[in-house]
Amino acid sequence: MRIEEHPILTFDRGREVEFTFNGRKMKGYEGEPIAAALHANGVRVLSYSKKLHRPRGFYCAIGNCSSCLMTVNGEPNVRVCTEKLREGMVIETQQGRGDLK
Amino acid sequence: MNRTAEIVIIGGGISGLATAYNLAAMGMKDVVVLEKSYLMSGSTGRCGAGVRQQWGTEMNCLLAKASCEIFENLNEILDYEGDIEFKQGGYLLMAVTEKEVEQFKKNVALQNSLGIKSVLLSPEEALEIVPDLNIEGILACAFHHKDGHANPFHTMIAYAEAAKRLGVKIYTYTEVTGIMVEGGRIRGVKTNRGDIFTGRVLIAAGAWSREVGAMAGVDIPVRPERHQILVTEPVNHRLGPMIMSFAGNIYCQQEPGGEFIMGYGPAEHETYSITSSWDFLEVMCRKAVRFLPYLRNIRIVRQWSGLYEISPDAQPILGRVEQVEGLYVATGFSGHGFMFGPITGVLMAQCILGLPTTIPIDKLDLARFERGELIFEPSVV
Amino acid sequence: MKHAEIAVIGGGPAGLMAALAAAEMGAKVTLVDRNSRLGGQLVKQTHKFFGSEKEYASIRGIDIGRILATEVHKNPNIETMLNSTVVAYYPDDGVLGIEVEEKKWVKMKAERIVVATGASEKYLLFENNDLPGIYGAGAVQTLMNEHGVVPGKNVLMVGAGNIGLIVSYQLMQAGVNVKAIIDAAPSIGGYWVHASKVARLGVPILTSYTVKAAYPNEMTGALERAVIWRVDDRWQPVPGTEKVFNVDVMCIAVGLSPLAELLWQAGCKMMYVPELGGHVPVRNDNMETTVSGIYVAGDVAGVEEASSAMMEGRLAGLSAAKSLGYDDGTYEEKKAEALKELENLRSGPVGGKIRKGLAQLAS
Repeated sequence: MRIEEHPILTFDRGREVEFTFNGRKMKGYEGEPIAAALHANGVRVLSYSKKLHRPRGFYCAIGNCSSCLMTVNGEPNVRVCTEKLREGMVIETQQGRGDLK
Repeated sequence: MNRTAEIVIIGGGISGLATAYNLAAMGMKDVVVLEKSYLMSGSTGRCGAGVRQQWGTEMNCLLAKASCEIFENLNEILDYEGDIEFKQGGYLLMAVTEKEVEQFKKNVALQNSLGIKSVLLSPEEALEIVPDLNIEGILACAFHHKDGHANPFHTMIAYAEAAKRLGVKIYTYTEVTGIMVEGGRIRGVKTNRGDIFTGRVLIAAGAWSREVGAMAGVDIPVRPERHQILVTEPVNHRLGPMIMSFAGNIYCQQEPGGEFIMGYGPAEHETYSITSSWDFLEVMCRKAVRFLPYLRNIRIVRQWSGLYEISPDAQPILGRVEQVEGLYVATGFSGHGFMFGPITGVLMAQCILGLPTTIPIDKLDLARFERGELIFEPSVV
Repeated sequence: MKHAEIAVIGGGPAGLMAALAAAEMGAKVTLVDRNSRLGGQLVKQTHKFFGSEKEYASIRGIDIGRILATEVHKNPNIETMLNSTVVAYYPDDGVLGIEVEEKKWVKMKAERIVVATGASEKYLLFENNDLPGIYGAGAVQTLMNEHGVVPGKNVLMVGAGNIGLIVSYQLMQAGVNVKAIIDAAPSIGGYWVHASKVARLGVPILTSYTVKAAYPNEMTGALERAVIWRVDDRWQPVPGTEKVFNVDVMCIAVGLSPLAELLWQAGCKMMYVPELGGHVPVRNDNMETTVSGIYVAGDVAGVEEASSAMMEGRLAGLSAAKSLGYDDGTYEEKKAEALKELENLRSGPVGGKIRKGLAQLAS
């Protein structure tokens, strides 16, 4: 869910763009982290742990912890908490460790 | 800490621990291992952990074959709860010069005669094993399907735990400061935590073996050499075997966890420094991409280095030391201590207990350098 | 190979102040930051700062970040490299390896380096602590205050230090329900000003409580329920004291640990000081580490507050410039001033822990 009114902050959002998450069409703002766009669309499970396949979301949101790795435009292991959203991005939950592009 | 011991083993790496385990398994009591830092802090915990049988001397072939057979059964032998992750994806050796092709032919013939079923392949045949290999410039390949890779940390823990169960005492952060020799016999060792009296000492101190040998008045001619290595992010499986080129100076393989691990052997100064350099990173990347172009898209996550202990003929130094009664040595592996570790443990235990060794090791003794009987191994990265 | 007189790594409060101070002395500075904008974690601090005007007291963190970033961008002595991550320091030849936009590899040799890389959030050990919906407090701040997305509907805040209290208040400002704030310690660790703000809004603060377990929603796999239990005076959980919260977000605010990789690579002498967040570099009062020419400032030198990070940054920047011969005669005075400010910031009972930690480092 997005914050529309805030007592202190105003949000300078980029233009609205479309992207897909596992084939589903979604909308977000250009330049925001992919994880923020997904979260605003109700997606909190971003990846699965490699051995036990436990669902994972982000943890640090600033590129430190590697909990949020996804496949973006075919590239595996992208930290979606820092990678910026662009028009038409294809974002997928990674199967296993991801295939090298 | 023990004040007396049947034997004191200096060095908590694979050679020392494997020997400790085998001695205890063969019935020796009061085996003590001393490590100046934590277990595996020297070269074992920093190595590339490849295990190959494709060698150019009979001795190395025999050692490697026997070691590999132990690796295959090590989880069971050591009753290890975990997994040493021994993966036999093979080694693909790539010849890039005519001279190398000739050497490969000789090596394969030698290996086959010793029961190692390596084969010579054309570059096109190599593509069936590594479909993405850039074969440009590759003249021929040698392949052995039973070569592989093990996890050095699990392997060491497996040995350490099995040894401890058999009563071996392992003291970490215990540095040997002197070796007591009286009348040409070992009497004990001095450490930063007190003295231990013993009639036998095994020096398995890797790159630090020369310093330790000097404490007993013995010259062990090994020198430290820094070797660098890097590892990438994990990705789904793409590379089966270890690929390696001697003239191209590279080894690279994908671990069971999906990470690519790779290195090459630059001419490095004699040094105990284990820092990393940026030129290694650049050269390594170029080398890796030259053979496996898809690696241009992979992220590197870590770079480190460790020490080879290079002997004058790049062969291990194993066995009794003639000048000092009770002194033994297992070092000089020249970058191959991990893969030879399991068999080193068996042979050194046999040697120390005065038993005939499964593989004759007389030619690998320290005195060979004085005798001038060096054995040169042509196949080293 | 790129050359720099002074490389400042990290464009947060410490790095910004270091760059400005060194530039003020006349040195040429290259400021490197992995983000696409300067300010570090200041950009999500909506609360007003304490301290004196030297640390921009009574201005919101977010505005301090903007002010400093503008000054940096205006300063002709400072070159800024954004989207640039310093991934390595190679001590053989003193070269920094910098990855630019995850595409380009730049090598930089700097005569002096100020490491101001900050800290990362600690985790907490409990059953299912990896569920989606369990986020670091800083992560929630980033999501909410920087990107305008709320983390969920109902939150359990774990940690009643300043970060836990401030983020709780910010969650409520964004319209999120904070069910409770818990802390394993027997008393509230943060400032009373922050605690009373959330208490006034009716949020219970439960001290001597820790998380027992988290449970997922069967359908989504994300957090649905959290169970806490009391700990006794020996920090042991007391069975039978469990409380259940139906929350879709758990926020972990149990402290930070320094991001000191570069210092380890450089071979700086490090010391484990729990009061400062973990392993921290040994340094002198110029903020220079045991490796000559490498300075530190901010959380990487010991986890503290943005205000003290700024003063440490100023000190490191002044000293690095001075060591290169940049001194118009004002150095000693400016250094003394910065040291005085730091002393003030660390005075009083709240600074006790930091003083204890720094004393260990000095011993």
